Amino acid sequence: MLQVSHAAKSFGANRAVDDVSLTIRAGEIVGLVGENGAGKTTLMRIVAGELAADAGTIEFEGRIGFVHQHFMLVNDFTIAENLALATRTSPRNAEAIVASTGIALGNVGRRAGDLSVGEKAKLELIKAIAREPSLLILDEPTSVLTPYESEELFAVMRTLAAKGTAIVFITHKIREVTAVATRVVVMRRGSVVADSPSMSAEEIADAMVERRTGFSRSGRAEARPTSRGEILAIVGVAGNGQRELAEQFLHAYPRSRIGFIPEDRTHDGIVAEMSIAENIALTRENWRGAIRRVPALIDLYSIKAQSAKQPAGSLSGGNQQKVILARELDGEPERIVASEPTRGLDLESTRFVRDQLREAAARGAHVILITSDLDEAFELADGIQVIYRGVLSDRMTPAVASERVAKLMAGLQ
Amino acid sequence: MKRIAYGIAAAAISIALLAAIGALFGHRDLFPILIGGSVGSPFALEGTLLKSVPLLLTGLAVVIAFRAGVWNIGGEGQFIAGSLAAFLAARYGIAAALIASILAGALWASIASLLRIWRNAPEVLTTILLNFVAIHLLGYCVNGPLQEPSRMYPQTDAAAVALPLLGTSDLHAGIVLALVAAFASWWLMYRTKEGLRLRAIGYNPNAARTAGVNVNAQIARALAFSGAAAGLAGGIELLGVTHRLFERFAAGYGYSGIAVALLAQLHPLATIASAVFFGALVTGAGELQRAANISSAVATFGQAIVILVLIMFGSMRARD
Repeated sequence: MLQVSHAAKSFGANRAVDDVSLTIRAGEIVGLVGENGAGKTTLMRIVAGELAADAGTIEFEGRIGFVHQHFMLVNDFTIAENLALATRTSPRNAEAIVASTGIALGNVGRRAGDLSVGEKAKLELIKAIAREPSLLILDEPTSVLTPYESEELFAVMRTLAAKGTAIVFITHKIREVTAVATRVVVMRRGSVVADSPSMSAEEIADAMVERRTGFSRSGRAEARPTSRGEILAIVGVAGNGQRELAEQFLHAYPRSRIGFIPEDRTHDGIVAEMSIAENIALTRENWRGAIRRVPALIDLYSIKAQSAKQPAGSLSGGNQQKVILARELDGEPERIVASEPTRGLDLESTRFVRDQLREAAARGAHVILITSDLDEAFELADGIQVIYRGVLSDRMTPAVASERVAKLMAGLQ
Repeated sequence: MKRIAYGIAAAAISIALLAAIGALFGHRDLFPILIGGSVGSPFALEGTLLKSVPLLLTGLAVVIAFRAGVWNIGGEGQFIAGSLAAFLAARYGIAAALIASILAGALWASIASLLRIWRNAPEVLTTILLNFVAIHLLGYCVNGPLQEPSRMYPQTDAAAVALPLLGTSDLHAGIVLALVAAFASWWLMYRTKEGLRLRAIGYNPNAARTAGVNVNAQIARALAFSGAAAGLAGGIELLGVTHRLFERFAAGYGYSGIAVALLAQLHPLATIASAVFFGALVTGAGELQRAANISSAVATFGQAIVILVLIMFGSMRARD
């Protein structure tokens, strides 16, 4: 029914989807799993026609329903009005539409904005089902549902599949895949690495994360005296408490004694309208001294800028990150917390940022690297901890972590 | 440079529109009267400059607050608080009166800070509401405890001191103070750590907080600086021009400061030119009333057009 042949899509240097071929038949429930950034959502957006593929062909007949991770509801409309908007019928039909989907949602006269997140998710699902799609794509639908609501959703999925609807269920929760999917497709770094009707939870977890046996930085790391500084990586699927953890570190020390690289560069890092120099001076007590040092820092951190007075917002993402690094590392703080420090950067900037973190550790700083990029964690870290639902695992050496990290990230241990 | 061009264009368009509408209603001489009445003679120019002084200070008050992302719409109330304090402190000398006006303006604005910190009340509302409190407080004072002993009018006696005049003109030393305030504001905002942090919270409070700026404290200080400028405006207006307090003493200077600041594109030094422009508009409008019997409300009309044109430029820039 759906035939994807050699689809590819790149964002800059990042190959989000890399030569993927996939066939989906009517009545299948396909669990599409992979780490963050593996290319799951990008692939499905190509299938749904929301993104144009750089290469490859998509063959599909029928209607696609796509339930996004983010709600697309009119908050000031009632449930009935939202359904009417999506199905182009009268709000009076709303009750019947809801009943036909088999999902319980209560009074349809309520404002969408007043619903709980679980109810909003249900409404999105009803919207999609009401249009009778032959292929239904669900992007992380259970992330806001209670376990009971998830079971309800799975029942609906099974009913739809029995009627011949093909369903693609994007998730990183392995347990749900084994519970409901009739076929599992695992993506990693833009490619399909496993595709099978029956996979155990362990097999799925192993496929999601590259095996890292033979990776041995740990010996050297353990030989290093801890007082000389080290890099501790905290890894996990995004949204498991990383942000809150970083905030705790930020407030636990005086600002001048901690180097803090925020996860969201444009939101929490850079003041786009102010100059490079002003951005760097912002954390400093000695304002004038900091401004005088900026040209030297621009050289030292190879920031590609015309002058220190250039607005920081006019720099590329990589150079903005270098401005933050220059600000946070130049004072040689004893502690550094770096959240997703290379997200969205090109190869050269990524290498630069990682080298800086290594150098900081080498001169004695304690670096905490919070990342969802496992390659980054294994490349840099002397020790690894996994964060899952706000709880940190024991500290592991990279060698031990390479065996256990996938299961810990999926909450299987 | 581009921003200055936007400001000048907005001012020119508003004057052109005023003249065009005047012509439409048969007043072909509207534009010459406006010019003649504001800058056409030494007397007119004096009037313009006198009006510019309070506008410059209330304009600076808005520049400082808006740069910090703090919506201080309370210039009017802070202006009144400053004038009341200056009147009461006048018996201790001119310096005491001016300092009192600065402190009172800052304190009046700080009520909004306290409400924000305690109850998370948005300053855009509290500062406006505090305007009404100040207006009625002034009304009570000039009808009650501070009313002139003869009880003839709802106004006070003349203040115990006055600002010295410059030469033989009607211009008072407040002009110098206002100019000093403009340069001091520029220095504060662009040459100090305080100013750096103040602008940072205005542009991106999240990044400022992550960089270690205490955003609430910074907002409170920005509001205090802002209120201080508006309070000084009230003190100078009392000690230099009216010498007495009366019910309609503030005359909208606090609100006009918003137009002054926006026309200056929130730059402290450009605020000088912007204040003189609006001072000329108000003075010229007074002449229109006298010479052509056109309501002086055209000054308000001009202000509104300037802001509308600037908003239009702003949305044009956003679309680029």
